[in-house]
Amino acid sequence: MMHGFLVSLALGIALTMLLSLYRLLHGPTLWDRLTGLGLVGTKTIVLLLLIGRITGREDIFVDITLAYTLISFIGALALAKYFEGKETA
Amino acid sequence: MTVLAGIFLGLGFFFIFTGALGILRFPDFYTRLHATGKSDMLGVGLMVLGTAILEGPTLNGLKIVLVIFVVALASPTATHALGRAAHRAGLVPWPARKGEP
Repeated sequence: MMHGFLVSLALGIALTMLLSLYRLLHGPTLWDRLTGLGLVGTKTIVLLLLIGRITGREDIFVDITLAYTLISFIGALALAKYFEGKETA
Repeated sequence: MTVLAGIFLGLGFFFIFTGALGILRFPDFYTRLHATGKSDMLGVGLMVLGTAILEGPTLNGLKIVLVIFVVALASPTATHALGRAAHRAGLVPWPARKGEP
């Protein structure tokens, strides 16, 4: 029963990522696109942990999740700093 | 324990879904950032806590708790950096009433 619950949660997270992907693709401004990108990144963290739990390989998926969290955070900060001085609004 | 983890996972999914709805429906960049910056952090934290409870007190469970701390540090910082960068780039907030500057 727990397995089915986890699979349905992972499918729901994937659907929510599609909703965020709409803002990433059709955002009116550049900043909306960056927000959608960060949102997809944080949802990927949860999705990786759920996939690790479903397939029974937590030992490798936890390490992948930690590395992905740090890379996503550094990427978001670098993009925000890069576009900060430019008149893109 | 499994029931507690299920409750945490369901609550976290509710908050994540609410944040995604907010980023779709709100009218302006700053309001969208306001909707997603908090609900997303809370939802991700609750869902990761649920998987940590499912895992139990092992080394992998400790690493999952470490993920919560990293997200709690990183997510508000990234949100604040985005908002400040947009403000410095000259993005004007959505007016409270139509017609007012």
